[in-house]
Amino acid sequence: MMKVTQRLLGPVTLLLLALTFWMGLWVTPPDKVQGNLVRLLYVHPPIAWVALYVSFGTATIASCLYLWRRTRSDAMDRIAHCAMEISVVFIVLTLVTGSIWGRPTWGVWWAWDARLTSTAILGVFALAYLALRRANDDPTVRARRSAVFAILTAINVPIIHFSVVWWKTLHQGASVLTSTGQLNVHGSMLWTMLIGFVGFTLLFFWLLRERYRLEVSRDARVRTRVDEALATRRSEGA
Amino acid sequence: MAETVEALTPVEPPASRSRSNRRSLGVIAVLVLVVGVLLSQGLLKSLNYFETVDQALGQRASLGTKVIRLEGVVEPGTIERTNAGASFTLAGSGSHHVLVTAQGSPPQLFQADIPVVVVGHFVSATSLDFAGTQIMVKHSSSYIAAHPNRVKAPNGTSR
Amino acid sequence: MIRVAWLVAVKDLRIEARSRVLLWQVLPFGVIALLLAGLALGPAQAGTSSAGPGLFYLVTLFVTLLMINRSQSLENAPGTRASVATLGLDPAGVFLGKALALTVELWVSGLVLLGGSVLLLHTALTGTLEALPSILVTLATLASAGTLYGALTQGGDGPATLLPVLTLPAFAPLLIAGERSFSAALHGGALWEWWVVVVVALVAYCAVGILLYGVLEES
Repeated sequence: MMKVTQRLLGPVTLLLLALTFWMGLWVTPPDKVQGNLVRLLYVHPPIAWVALYVSFGTATIASCLYLWRRTRSDAMDRIAHCAMEISVVFIVLTLVTGSIWGRPTWGVWWAWDARLTSTAILGVFALAYLALRRANDDPTVRARRSAVFAILTAINVPIIHFSVVWWKTLHQGASVLTSTGQLNVHGSMLWTMLIGFVGFTLLFFWLLRERYRLEVSRDARVRTRVDEALATRRSEGA
Repeated sequence: MAETVEALTPVEPPASRSRSNRRSLGVIAVLVLVVGVLLSQGLLKSLNYFETVDQALGQRASLGTKVIRLEGVVEPGTIERTNAGASFTLAGSGSHHVLVTAQGSPPQLFQADIPVVVVGHFVSATSLDFAGTQIMVKHSSSYIAAHPNRVKAPNGTSR
Repeated sequence: MIRVAWLVAVKDLRIEARSRVLLWQVLPFGVIALLLAGLALGPAQAGTSSAGPGLFYLVTLFVTLLMINRSQSLENAPGTRASVATLGLDPAGVFLGKALALTVELWVSGLVLLGGSVLLLHTALTGTLEALPSILVTLATLASAGTLYGALTQGGDGPATLLPVLTLPAFAPLLIAGERSFSAALHGGALWEWWVVVVVALVAYCAVGILLYGVLEES
């Protein structure tokens, strides 16, 4: 069962993304106010959802589990690292697609409102996390420090989420996760958007799995190399 | 070798462990409290990206001719495109109105009956005329198809 | 915890009083940075600009970065960390002590820089005095956050270059809060809501430090 799910992950992801693009570009109608610009709705919110909640959330939870003695393992550290790397990519994509949407609708590429600024700060945090990992060679030290740092930065995520509720921002409020539970997207637009959400979420898990495997084989390779070098040394001595 | 290392590892006395557990709980309680305080307050009004027309008129005296971002709904039928830009009336709730004269070409979505944010200042300390340098369209989070109730006319065309 | 904190704070401050790194290296840097800030504004702006509080905090952040590195490098001498670890001191106490010492050092540099901004950037003296309590609390928050982030960077590759990347995004909200409350004191406006933010951040960073400093020290 597990194996079948794993094997299907990639194809299903590609299928859903293709479906999103097809429905987004050809099936759904233009919006009353925004016209064709509304088609970014099927890409930008799902990408932001993956960046902020799915991948950053995975990294934070894995970091917490690493710091908790009972669940401490190298796997948790690796998951946190890989999820954060994917998060960087998706945060950048969020900012880029947001800019592309902002320029024609708002009239500006960038506005210093609370949501945009806090998202950019989260991006810098994610980059800093990767910088912190690179700066430490000892795996234990690296794992502990990066776990603490990930937890420190995670406070930013609820701030970003509620920024459009707490403060008046140029960025519009939530369309799906609204405080009243009311959906603000209609008909086929809603379905396309939801398929986008599922598709991009699966894309995250697919990328995470591949990245995790790469990391495992890289670690294994480093270990065999060290063993080989030791063996050579020993045979030289003998 | 492994045995020696184990023998040298300091053993934590049980008393301090229960104390540190209690402390962890206390600290987590403080953190929860802190987040609660932040969430419960409508804190930090000054992080707002703009002032609404109502707010701006409410503190009209203290604003003077300071540069602000003013938000309101474009009143239908008041838009006049000029060579330099556009002029229109921004409405707040109730009977609050501000006449805006903006320089520069408005963004492509600019139209009547939608909320916009105008960067600029009141032309004098008491006037209700607003000189804008930039118009930004603040679209809502609702998305509705352009013609949701498209009906077929008797002759077969849709309108 | 409190006793350890006191001992560590006194130890750090005593080292500082003898080495005078703050007096001879960091403060001159701060004053030069303020001068450069005035030059960057240009002669027409320097006297009239409302940028004074922002520039003061910007320079303060740079000074803070230097002081965090200094505070953490006190334990860098070979063997020091290992021997401190064998003492079995309460890490929460060590955190509070180092944060306290850093706070006192930042207060000293903050007072000097405030004098500089009154002289060079022409921030009004009465408004500046009114803003003083909020500045002191903001500096204490910077110190407690800085102690936590400083411990993250030590011993690795290039702590001096890594520290700004980790801390500056975390300092950004404090910069905003500090600048707004300073500006509110100078030009009028709501002061208390920024107070709440800074105090809440101070409590939060101290709580996290007490909880997690041990994890960093262990490594």
